[in-house]
Parts: sequence; structure tokens; C-alpha cells
Amino acid sequence: MRRTIRPQGWIVGAALAAALLLPGARAEAGAASTASDGIALSNSYAGNGWRQQMLKMWNLAAQHGIAIGAIAKTKVVNSDNSAPQQATQISDLTLQGWKAIVIDAASPTALNGVIQQACSAHIVVVVFDSLATAPCAYKVAYDYVEMGEIEADYVAKHLGDKGTVLEVRGIAGTSVDNDIHQGIVQAFAKYPGIKLVGSVHGNWTQSIAQKEVAGILPTLPKVDAVVTQGGDGYGTFQAFKTADRPTPLIIMGNRQDELALWKQLAGGPGGYPTMSLSSAPGVSSIAFWVAQQVLAGVTVPKTVHVPLLIIRANDLDAWLKAVPPGGVSTPLYGQKWTEDLIAANLGHSALPQSPIPTGVP
Amino acid sequence: MATDNAPFVRLAGIRKSFGAVQALAGVDLSIPAGRMVSVVGHNGAGKSTLMQVLAGTLAADGGEIRIGGVERRAGYDVHAAQALGIRCVFQELSLCPNLSVVENTRVVHPGLGGFGWRRRCRALIVEALEAIFPGHGIDPDRTAGELAIGQRQMVETARAFTEAGTKVRLVILDEPTASLDADAASHLLRFTGAARAKGIALVFISHRLPEILGHADEVVVMRDGEVAGGGAARDFTEERLVELMGVVREAASEGGRAEASVGALRVEEAGTAGGRLPLRLHAGEIVGLGGLAGHGQRAVLQAVFAAAHGREGHWRVRGSVAYVSGDRQSEGIFPLWSVGLNTTVSRLRALAHAGIISLWSERTLAEEWRRRLEIRTPGIDRPISSLSGGNQQKVLLARALASAADTILFDDPLRGVDVGTKRELYRHVAEAARAGKAFLWHTTENIELENCDRIYVFHRGTITDEIPRAELSEERLIRASFATGMSGATGMSGAPGMSGAR
Amino acid sequence: MLAEIRLPPASPRVLLPAAALAAMLVLIFAMEPRAMSYFGLTLLLNFALPAVFAATAQMAVIAAGDIDLGLGPFISLVNCLAATWLTTRPAAGIVALALLVAAYAAIGALIHLRRLPSIVVTLGASFVWLGLALLVLPTPGGSAPAWLTTLLAVHPPGVPLPVLVSILVGLIGWLLLMRTSYGTVLRGIGGNPRAVARAGWSLLGGRVALYAAAGILGVLAGLALTGLNTAGDATVGTQYTLVSIAAVIVGGGEFVGGIVSPAGAVIGAWIMLLTGSLLSFLDISTDWQLSVQGGILILVLGLRALEQWRAA
Repeated sequence: MRRTIRPQGWIVGAALAAALLLPGARAEAGAASTASDGIALSNSYAGNGWRQQMLKMWNLAAQHGIAIGAIAKTKVVNSDNSAPQQATQISDLTLQGWKAIVIDAASPTALNGVIQQACSAHIVVVVFDSLATAPCAYKVAYDYVEMGEIEADYVAKHLGDKGTVLEVRGIAGTSVDNDIHQGIVQAFAKYPGIKLVGSVHGNWTQSIAQKEVAGILPTLPKVDAVVTQGGDGYGTFQAFKTADRPTPLIIMGNRQDELALWKQLAGGPGGYPTMSLSSAPGVSSIAFWVAQQVLAGVTVPKTVHVPLLIIRANDLDAWLKAVPPGGVSTPLYGQKWTEDLIAANLGHSALPQSPIPTGVP
Repeated sequence: MATDNAPFVRLAGIRKSFGAVQALAGVDLSIPAGRMVSVVGHNGAGKSTLMQVLAGTLAADGGEIRIGGVERRAGYDVHAAQALGIRCVFQELSLCPNLSVVENTRVVHPGLGGFGWRRRCRALIVEALEAIFPGHGIDPDRTAGELAIGQRQMVETARAFTEAGTKVRLVILDEPTASLDADAASHLLRFTGAARAKGIALVFISHRLPEILGHADEVVVMRDGEVAGGGAARDFTEERLVELMGVVREAASEGGRAEASVGALRVEEAGTAGGRLPLRLHAGEIVGLGGLAGHGQRAVLQAVFAAAHGREGHWRVRGSVAYVSGDRQSEGIFPLWSVGLNTTVSRLRALAHAGIISLWSERTLAEEWRRRLEIRTPGIDRPISSLSGGNQQKVLLARALASAADTILFDDPLRGVDVGTKRELYRHVAEAARAGKAFLWHTTENIELENCDRIYVFHRGTITDEIPRAELSEERLIRASFATGMSGATGMSGAPGMSGAR
Repeated sequence: MLAEIRLPPASPRVLLPAAALAAMLVLIFAMEPRAMSYFGLTLLLNFALPAVFAATAQMAVIAAGDIDLGLGPFISLVNCLAATWLTTRPAAGIVALALLVAAYAAIGALIHLRRLPSIVVTLGASFVWLGLALLVLPTPGGSAPAWLTTLLAVHPPGVPLPVLVSILVGLIGWLLLMRTSYGTVLRGIGGNPRAVARAGWSLLGGRVALYAAAGILGVLAGLALTGLNTAGDATVGTQYTLVSIAAVIVGGGEFVGGIVSPAGAVIGAWIMLLTGSLLSFLDISTDWQLSVQGGILILVLGLRALEQWRAA
């Protein structure tokens, strides 16, 4: 394998560039060493807690990868939620000769041109979280329809197939919101006794969820349960409390305030049965290892499904301990775990469950 | 041409009003081909309006326009005037500062497009510049904005004489020598002879009476929108021109005001340059800045204002200063604010307690001034843009009077305000002066100077006379405005003051 | 004949940004020698095409002494139309794009006739463009017409496509605006509208011509972006509003007075684009990109103010 050290002198550089960019130049290898390769992250937006945690997880995974000699270097570039800016950055990364580019995309479509260009230059492209639809890219994807189904099943079983449910949705028009909603509706269709009595858009933000839920509450009869999308459970609770209404069963996300609230409610009389499920910011570490596996020549399916982060009551304490106040809980996924995940995806077998943290990552 | 012996231009009974103000009250004017007619008059006599009518940029309300012996009826506009070969060099420079000299030439010749226009324009303007101002030293590829003001004036003048398609038949020169040095001015005056020899008619407007008498064929004197007299230039003297321009009118102000009680010195020039009369302003005084518009009055006001804010060392100013501009749209009002806020904005610091404005006292103040100046508005919360022009001007005046300023600078603040409103405002100014405020008042309407205790008359940036109100006469004012009867009368450089005046 | 095509007197307004661009390129080539190849330049300047068209569109509006705050959403709308109608119903797509150009001309007429501030009208229009874009394409998707993606992937011999088109845009813009006689009059409108009107030109016609040019260039920017992205997204163009304004100013233009230069706008667009790449190659965090772009703008305006202050 060629090394990606910075060449001295422009003649060497030009020759290298030509070789790099010419089709077929990269050797077809089996299980090859990736010790000298570099993997870059192009992130569309860094302005919220989830993304910050995601970047932190990336750096932890990449540092670990460098320490064990899996890769040589990494780099993170953020754009300001602007697709053309991110596209330019991906072009630059392509030019700089990174072996793999991992992307959290600003637009599902607007980056397809540059992604195709990178693929043509024999660069491994992995997209995760906010996906891009370019066919040549590997996709590390949550099944958000399944997330909706799991929530709805839990609620229906807990209520005994009888009750009223409020739905707090995410940002309108996003595929994530559409998928979760679809899953919820599909699952509730199996339970005729459950009635969806209202729906608001909480935008995955506690303050907005609180405002929106408070707005709709006066129009609603008794609410037995609330299905959420994560980042909105605490705000929903506050809205009920302020309106002096009994606290319903609220599905929680993975924000620290949501888990702490759950813990506090569970400590009260009668306990508080609920569950937390969400997409984990640590998915960036999965994407990192997927990229490394592809570089190493391992066969990887174009779409790698990732299990949702599901927290049950008996694991709550362990997860709470691992997340600082104001943070977002997430596991850090390792190389071995990712190899298992890829194998499970290839064999269509059950996906491995997220590891429970043993301390603050 | 229809009739060869008829003058190229014959205007008869031209009338034009702006609202209640009659700018032209039936003016007759004939301009024969190959002759230079000079139009003279003081501020507001109607010269500029008449020239705009002739150039087609302003439509007359009534009267007859015959050009080339043919009656031009409705639809006489810039295009028609240009097609007839009428050109105009306006007083305010009308070059595009971002275009080169060559490109500016192209702008005035709509028919000059097409391939190679640049070469043709260059040839035209270079030829005209050489003919009029030999040795001008102007690079035709420089942008107009880069040229000195005198050079711009040269380009503009030369441009009016360039021919592409239509022949030049009449050129209106509005103060063409105002920003030229003596050398260039004499070149231009010499060139007018050559132009006349080619049959071009010229209108020459100037404040330099010797230039007029020395070079024009005919003189027309305007006053109050009418022709006060005229004839062959050789039959006139400066004395006679001045007399015609300003026959003493009956005073329109209500008998002026009582003797001012002069207080402490408020504004003073720190060392005057070039022997010009020193300007002084005391508390309780109203001092007028007279003379022809654009001769340095505004510069003085702006310098005093800057000095009050510590940005100018040439003036010594004691106490605070407020400025009221006649150009209310660009300098005065906050167009989106209410009448009340526009009134009190100068007083906010005094209205504030610990940085917080007391809304109640603000309203009280605004209401008080609305009452005192009789600002016609349904309420002080209405947007100022809902007021008439005169009432907006009242608000500006109210703002200055309401402010704590010791000295108020007036930059022709009553331009375009009706007579009734003016009278009210004069009264308020006089009242404020009695209360100790000092006013420095630049006006282009001579009649307003009768409200002042003393008048400084400006000519080409210097003060040529200081007239106490008791001695104010139209004649003396015009004499000083045109700097006649003094040594170095054309005032090429700072003219010495009139030592004999007092 | 030689005098005919002689270049305008070298003004520091364009020389300064040109020198800055040259310095940036030298630095980029030193840091990343790969960028110096044909394909390297293609990659580096991929997104120069929409940026260059956007900057020249903005320049046309600024030439009239106005400013266009709706350009970014307008480019998004073109992107959405191109990724949907132009692919599935080409005739309807072409008509829609022609209507958009007409709408721009109409905005110019409206601003002139009603004496409205352009900043308000174009800001209002920006919401209309965004709304229409969402109507056409509610969620990102669609696909660019094949001819468009092929066109954008053309590799002309010798000179990479973005470089070639940038030079052509600068050259054609220079010819039309700086060399033709009507272009001169159009700039004159920005410099001294009264003088131009007095000389018998229609200010309405001039403004409509400039806005129509902006509309055409805006459509070209949207098409170029679609060809590069291969799909549509209703929010993809947002940043072009401010980037285009910055490009015009950095390239030697002024907000008022009709002082603009097509070559300068092209150079400005390159500078704004390459700032991010340069930071990336220098291994400076991209979080600084916006600050650096803003800093360049303030620096340019500051230097210019200093120059004027010295001249005064």
C-alpha cells in the first residue's frame, strides 16, 4: 500500500496525484493493513449537544484506532449546515488524498455529486446519522421505523391495549421524523383499544416540546401515555406538571435530564415504568470502524443497520453514572463490536446489543 | 428652418409654480443664433427654473416655447430638446463619477453606440477639450471621480460642445466658471466667441458681473420670477445690474424684531485667514449668513458643528450646538419614527433617569411642542411621514428648540415651507433668542434675513460684508453677494472685506 | 485597432484582490501539491461555478446601487426546478426558468417604479422563492437532467472546466458591462442616475436590464449547482446570498455608486471559496471559516476606508 505522507516537492506530488486519481490505481487487496491510512470526518453541523457528543465519540474512536495501529491519522471538518460548503470540504478532503471520508450530511441529496466524485477517486465513503443517498456510499443506518414500533408496542402492552396516547414528533419534513411516526402508526394499528389523541412537533428540543405540549394539553382528555422521539421527554413532563395533570407514561430519550427524571420518578411511590430508546451519538464510532473495515478489505454490505440504544429500568443506574449533567448518553462502540455488527448484517441475524458503559467515556 | 431671421429660441409668458410658490410669473426670453445671452439675478429669481424649462427637464405650466421658429407644444422634454441641439451644463455637476471621461461622453450621446464607440467618443471629447481648454492635461481614461473639481467642470463643459448626429445649436452654461481657475475661465470665455462664430447660441449664467459685461452680447435681469430688464450688454454697468436685481421691496416680515440683548460670546473664529471679516455670534443673537447659495455658508455651519464636537480647531464654540437642515429627507428626520419621537430625540439624555427614559415626560415634552408650534397631526404617535413637508420641518425645528442646545445652526431650514408656517416659525425663533439661545441662520431667501440682527454676506467662501439689520437693503446685499464695487471685484481669491461699510 | 481592446487602466481595486488570490493559490499549491494538477484544480474549484454565477448576479444588482437578499433562495428554487420539472417535463421546466428571469426583471421594475428599497423587496422575494422551492420539492430529492450532470463533468482539454467557465464569465461580463456602450450607461445609472436620465436614458429600462441579467445569472448558478449536486434541496442555496455580496465587495465593488467589476466579482467568488480550502490545508479548524471570511471582508473595507481617508 502507498503511504499517505505529505510528498516533498511538487513533481512527486503531481505524479502521486495523478496516480491517486486515476481509476484502477488502488490495489485490490484482501485483508489488508490499514495502519498507514487516514480517515476523515465531514460533519454538517456542530451546534447542538448531540453533535458535540458525536464528535467526542469520533475522536475517542479515532485516537484508539491510531493507538492500536489501525489507522495513521484523522481529521474533522465541520460546515455550518450548508450543503455547498460541506461539498467543497469533501472535495478538499478528496484532493488531500484521505483514504476514507465519513459524512454526517447537510442534505440527503446535495452532496451526491461530490460523494460520487470521491468514490471515483477510489475513496471509501461512509455516511451515517443524517444520510446521503449516493449509491456508492456505505450507509450506517438506524431503523427509525422500528424505533416507532418498539415504542408503540411497549406503550400498548403496558396500558393493556386500552388508553389515550399523545405523540411528540421531531422536526417536520425530516426522514427521521417521518419514519418514527410511520412505525408508531403501524404498530398502534394492531391495538384497536389505543387511541392517538394528539400530535405536536417538539423538534427534539426540551423547551420546544414543553411549549407545544402545554399548548395542546387543554384540548385533550386524560392522557395515558406519550410517545416521543428523544430529547423531548423532560419538556413533556414539565408541561404536564405545570398544567397540574397526572404524569402519564412518557417514553424517554437518552439525554441526561430525561434519565435523571426517570430515576427520580421511579424512586417515588409506585415506581415509574418506562423505557428509553434513541439514536446514540456514538454511532460515529461505528461509522469510523466500518470505514476501517472497508479499507481493510472486509466485505461490508452497502447498508449497515445499527441497533437503537435501548435503556431498560435495570440498566438505568449504569447509564446515568456514565453521562455528565447536560450530556447525551451513548456507548462507545469498538472495533470488535463493529465486526460483529457487520457479520450480523451479512448473516441477517440478530444485531448485537449496545454495550453498557462502565464509566464516563 | 422656417424663418431665418427669427431668434433660435423665443419663450413667451412662461409660467411655473411649485405648490404655492410661483417660480416663473410669465417670462419672455429671446436667444438669437450666434449670440450669448446672460441671465442674472439673485437667489430664487427664477434663473435655474427657466433654464430647466428651456432644457426640457421641467415642464412649464403655461406659455409659449418656440425653437427654430417652430412652436413646441406639449411633449417638449429632454429628448425633444436634445434632438433640437440644446445642451445644458448644469450647476451641480452631472458626470457619473464611476465612469471615465470617455464613457461620460457616451452617456450624453444616445446615438453613439455600436462597434468602436469608445474610439469615437475619445476623439470627440479630446477634440472638444483641446478646442476649449488647450493644455487641459486631462486623461480621458480617468474616471470622473478621480478628477479635481475644476477638471470635472472642464469635461462637463467640453462634453456639451461635442457633436454626434445632431448639431449643437444652443448651450446653456450655468455658472461655468465657478470652479475654474482664472486661466481656464479665460480660455472658456475666449471659446464662447468661436462658438458664436459657428452660429451656436449661448446662455451664460454667472455671478461674476465683469465676466458678463465683458463677454455677453445681451443681458437679461430676473427678479422674483419675472424679467426686470435687459438689453445689449454694452449698455449696462455693474451698478445698473445690481439696481435691477434688487429694487427695494417692502418688508414682508412683521416689522422685524426689537434690538437684541446681546449676551456672552458663543461662536468665534479662531484667527481668520486671508483678511476676511471675522464671524462672531453671541447669546440671544440671530445672525444671518447671506449671499448666493453655495458660497461657503454651509461650510461654516458644518465647521461650527464639528468644532462643537471637538473635531475642528478653527472655531471656538462655547456651549452645545444643534443643527437643523433644510434637506430633511437625507439629514433630518427619522422617517419610520413617530412625530413625538422625532421631536424628543435630541432631548433623550435629559429625559433619562439613570439611563432609563421617562416615557411620561417624553410625551409631555412632545405634546408641549406640538401645541406651541401647532404641528398639524392627529396625534404625536402618528408616523412623521404622514405629515406634510411644512409640518415635518416644524418637527425638526421643534426638536432643535426643545433640545438643550445653546446655539442652533439653521441650514436653510424653511426651504419649501409655506408663508403662514414661516411666520409662525420666525416668531418662535425670535422668542427662543430672547430666552438666550443663539442662532446662526443660513438662508437662500433674502427676505428671511430681515429676521436677523446681523447678516454676514458670503462670496466665494469669504465674508464680503457685515450688515446690521438697520442698514439691510436689497441693494447692499446684492452688491456684497456679487462682490462688486470692491477691489479685485471678480473675487478670484479671498476678497478683502468692505472697510467702508461701517 | 489595438487601442480598441486596450485594458482599462490597472486599478488597485481589482489588482489587490487578484494579488490576494494569487497568493492564496501559491500557498495552497505549496501545502497541497496535488492541487496543481488538472484534476486537482477541478476538485479544488468544483463549486466555483455556482459561486461565480451567483457573484456576477449579485454584481448586476449592486451595479444599480441595489442589493439582492433573495439570491440564495432563488438559486435553491432553480435547483429544485432543475431536479424535478427540467428532468421529467423539460418544456415546463424551461418555461418555469424563463418565468423566473421575468420575475427578476419585474422586481427591478417594481423597485424603480414604487421607489422601494431593494433590501426590503428582495428580502420579501426570498421568502417567496423559499416557499415555491418547498412546493416544488418538499423533501430533498429529485435528480438532475442527465445532460446537465454530463455537462458539469466535462473535462475540456488543457484547462479544467471551473477555471475555463470562470474566465469566460469574467470576460463576457467585462465585455458586456465595461466595454459595450449600453453597459456603460447601466453603470452610469449606479453612479449618477439623474445625469443619465437627463441625457435621455430610461432608468426603468436600465434597472430592468440589470435585474434580468441577475435573473439569468441566478438561473445559471442554480443549474450549475444542480449539475454538481445531481439532486434538489430547497435550502441548498441559502449561503449564496451573503457569499455573493461578500464576493462583489472583496472583488473591488462598492455598495453604492455603480462601482463594480465582473472580473473582480469572479476573483472575489474564488477568494471566498478558497478560504475554506486554504484553512483546511493549513490544518486550521473549519470552525474558523466563517470568521475568516468575515475578517477578510472587514479587512478589505477597512483598507479601502483608510485609502480614501488618505486621499481626502
